Amino acid sequence: MIEMDEKTIREKIRAYITADFIRDPDYPLADEEGIITGGMMDSFALAELAVFVENAFNVYIPDPDLTVAKMDTLNQIVARVMRDMK
Amino acid sequence: MTFNLTLIAIFTVGGFIYSLILPKSWRKWTLFIASLLAVYALQPPLLIRDMDFILPTITIFVAVFVWIATLPRTDNRLRMTIQWRDLFTMAILILLITGLAMTRHLPSEWQLLTASRPPDPFTIFLALLPIALLIILLGGAQINQPRQRLALSFIILIIIGVFIILKTESFAIGLSGWLREQTGRDASLANPLTDLNWLGFSYVAFRLIHVLRDRQTGKLPDVSLRDMLTYIIFFPSLTAGPIDRIERFQEDLSALPDMNGRDPSRIVVGSTRIVIGIFKKFVIADSLALFSLSITNAEQATNAGGMWILLYAYAFRLFFDFSGYTDIAIGIGMLFGVQLPENFNRPYLKNSITAFWQAWHITLSNWVRFYIFSPLTRTMLRWKRKPSSDVIVGIGLVATMVIIGLWHGISLTFLVWGLWHATGLFIHKMWSDRTRKWYNQFKKKQGQLRLWNWAGIFITFHFVVMGWVWFALPDLNTVFSVLGKLAGVGF
Amino acid sequence: MWNWLINPKEPYTWVFFLRVVIKATLLFLLFNLLFAWLRPMDFISRLSLYNTVVVGRERLPYGENSAEAYTLTTDNIPAMFATHEINRAKAPDEYRVLLVGDSATWGFLLPAHQTLAQQLTDKNYLLADGRRVVAYTIAHPVMSLTKDLLLLDEAMRYQPDMVIWLVTLQSFSQNRQIGAPIIQNNPTRVRQLITDYELSLNPNDERFKSIISNMIIGNQRNLADWLRIQLYGFMWGATGIDHVVNEYTLRRNDFDDDVSWENFDAPQTISPDDLAFDVIRAGHQMVGGIPLIVVNEPMFIADGVNSDLHYNNFYPRWVYDEYRGLFTQVARTNDWRYCDLWDAMPRDSFTDSPVHMTPDATGELSRILGEMLTDYLDFGYLGRECD
Repeated sequence: MIEMDEKTIREKIRAYITADFIRDPDYPLADEEGIITGGMMDSFALAELAVFVENAFNVYIPDPDLTVAKMDTLNQIVARVMRDMK
Repeated sequence: MTFNLTLIAIFTVGGFIYSLILPKSWRKWTLFIASLLAVYALQPPLLIRDMDFILPTITIFVAVFVWIATLPRTDNRLRMTIQWRDLFTMAILILLITGLAMTRHLPSEWQLLTASRPPDPFTIFLALLPIALLIILLGGAQINQPRQRLALSFIILIIIGVFIILKTESFAIGLSGWLREQTGRDASLANPLTDLNWLGFSYVAFRLIHVLRDRQTGKLPDVSLRDMLTYIIFFPSLTAGPIDRIERFQEDLSALPDMNGRDPSRIVVGSTRIVIGIFKKFVIADSLALFSLSITNAEQATNAGGMWILLYAYAFRLFFDFSGYTDIAIGIGMLFGVQLPENFNRPYLKNSITAFWQAWHITLSNWVRFYIFSPLTRTMLRWKRKPSSDVIVGIGLVATMVIIGLWHGISLTFLVWGLWHATGLFIHKMWSDRTRKWYNQFKKKQGQLRLWNWAGIFITFHFVVMGWVWFALPDLNTVFSVLGKLAGVGF
Repeated sequence: MWNWLINPKEPYTWVFFLRVVIKATLLFLLFNLLFAWLRPMDFISRLSLYNTVVVGRERLPYGENSAEAYTLTTDNIPAMFATHEINRAKAPDEYRVLLVGDSATWGFLLPAHQTLAQQLTDKNYLLADGRRVVAYTIAHPVMSLTKDLLLLDEAMRYQPDMVIWLVTLQSFSQNRQIGAPIIQNNPTRVRQLITDYELSLNPNDERFKSIISNMIIGNQRNLADWLRIQLYGFMWGATGIDHVVNEYTLRRNDFDDDVSWENFDAPQTISPDDLAFDVIRAGHQMVGGIPLIVVNEPMFIADGVNSDLHYNNFYPRWVYDEYRGLFTQVARTNDWRYCDLWDAMPRDSFTDSPVHMTPDATGELSRILGEMLTDYLDFGYLGRECD
């Protein structure tokens, strides 16, 4: 597992979200922008995001943490991943 | 017994005393003991001898067993982190239960704390101790670190098994018949409602599964036996929820010692919620109950207009009764310093079925999302040859809604009710996926948006109301005859 | 959703809490005083979902098992009438006939659409001037002429064209006059009748309920009945059920030799004052110009053991014969239109009591009444059935 810093994690997640959910790779997703509350992704997609995080960063986010309140902005998602990075 | 006015008055007065007079250090123990007493006092009387004393005791011992099983195993050797305070809690537990059994000798009108005359304390004391010790040995010694995950899954399966037996008509009748034979009663009168009405079991089962699953996924915080038990059987939410989460509940518990007892706002908000809840439940819901759909009046109805009124009355009665009860539970919880989560957020005014399920019985839909929908969809997403995401969401929705349906009772009508909502949710998901971009533009046009919103509310509300036909009636042909009558056919 | 409660403009204080409690109590007291002053009970009782949102009831609400029969027994008279189908404008071609009486006329053990009035209306009698006879039963299952008068007093508001008063000896007994809750719990109304019509009843009879207060608390029962009867209206509208007809045991046909009746323990001659004829007189005064026909309702005549001493379990023969003799004589001297149908129906017409009848028998009686009232209106006499 190559050592990843916060910046690369953020970019990988941003790219994944804009490509897979918003389906517009060059959408300017801001760090604090509400993705679910902004109507760009629905809460069903959180499961897909969690699996992506498992594969990309080997971080398991328990289901009760996959809520709109905790995973609505890029900052929240990145912080959560960083917290459990080995 | 459910919440009647005397019980609410007792809890409210208790809440005021607890807040204004009780020393702060007593608070956690008070909640623990009050909840322990409530498990016995709120248990409805049952026809099988001593059953209404045994069932609450089983609830408590299952909770103790789950606490022991979910203790963190520090390393391979069988050391577990049982501290002195937990043993002290167990001692209090056994003393309290035996003390309750002692009330057997009081004149019957004094036996207010138990559903009916408790069994002989001597046997209780003899029976109680071995069981308690057995649990500690079985629970503790057997489950060591590597096997904990497997053991917890096994316990979850047992709980689900018991749930299925209790909630399936034929099994439940068989069980109550067998129990009647053991206690020398007439087995032909076996009736689960009068024999096996286990107070709050459906809610306790879900809290237990939540705790077991969270230990498996490493999310369960360290919790003492006393706090775990208080969480599982917290008296305001014992009979019908809300289903709180243990880490949230623990935050409130740990904040109790320095909570300002004389803070007016907590008491004003708590009392207001209770008063509003009483009005919703005892005035609105009980009035609607006089003409809300039931198996008897469904067959008697002679015109479509009348049928629709009965159905609407049922829909609103269900809401006002349950949300009124929840307001009371939350209000009482507040008086005791515990902020129970909300269960309703104007569900009938939501403009989509997905939004409805985020506003109706919220704690239950959260529970099924965390412990059924999310894990199920994630496992499917991890498969090498995983099906399309629409199929995955579809399977996830069907599984989730069927389980919510069968949680109310394992019967065909509840199953169909679950499928009805699963279909609605699925169609809405497909629709919103394909119209997300269009909708984000459309949102800017205010006038049309309001109209669109009202149309959404109208459709969603009636979709839910039509669903209540399956939910309210126990057999399919009555359901079909009612659906016909609603359309003006079949009189 | 609870934002308004959780985040108030300024934080809650104990003063606020006390102020709310005090304000609530004051408001409650104010409401009660206002209620006692305005006495809106009758006005409120006459507000009704019936005949507007829901179709009117075909008879006054009465019944013990409310849950199954979707009805209730109440002493709130205006509320009862407001649920009745009579509480609607009279059609221009409608000749409105009121049927006053006890449980037999009310239709005990009969579904709503098979009552005496309903079957009479269904026969569509037409008068010479083209008007249709439409009958309404304002009967109530209590045997007391004073109760009949009490209900008739309220019914006169609904422009009846004719009143047919079906009576039987039981209702004439003096101690039954104030024997039922509906009379005892309406002291003001009954006392008003006693003074207006000089009835021989004692206005201070201790059975009258004392009026605790005219406040809301005092009227709690009437308010609750009024509200619940509206709610049951939806069930009536949806199902047409207002009475549960279940198994019953047939009226008795064999008797012992005890021939006492009410407080007469042995055969003797009876004077008009022993029976409540004065209430019938008051009824004639109450209806004013419109015709009132008094009918001695048919009853079961036993042929079993001791049937030579008893007509049925209500009446020893001696007292009933006295009653009939008296009735004919009093009717003639007061020039009442009186029709004696005591033996007009065969023995198998009766169900669980000597006066409750089967649907078919009720249909036959409605035919007799129909011909009686049309003969009277067209030719001025009551026809052969009556004399």
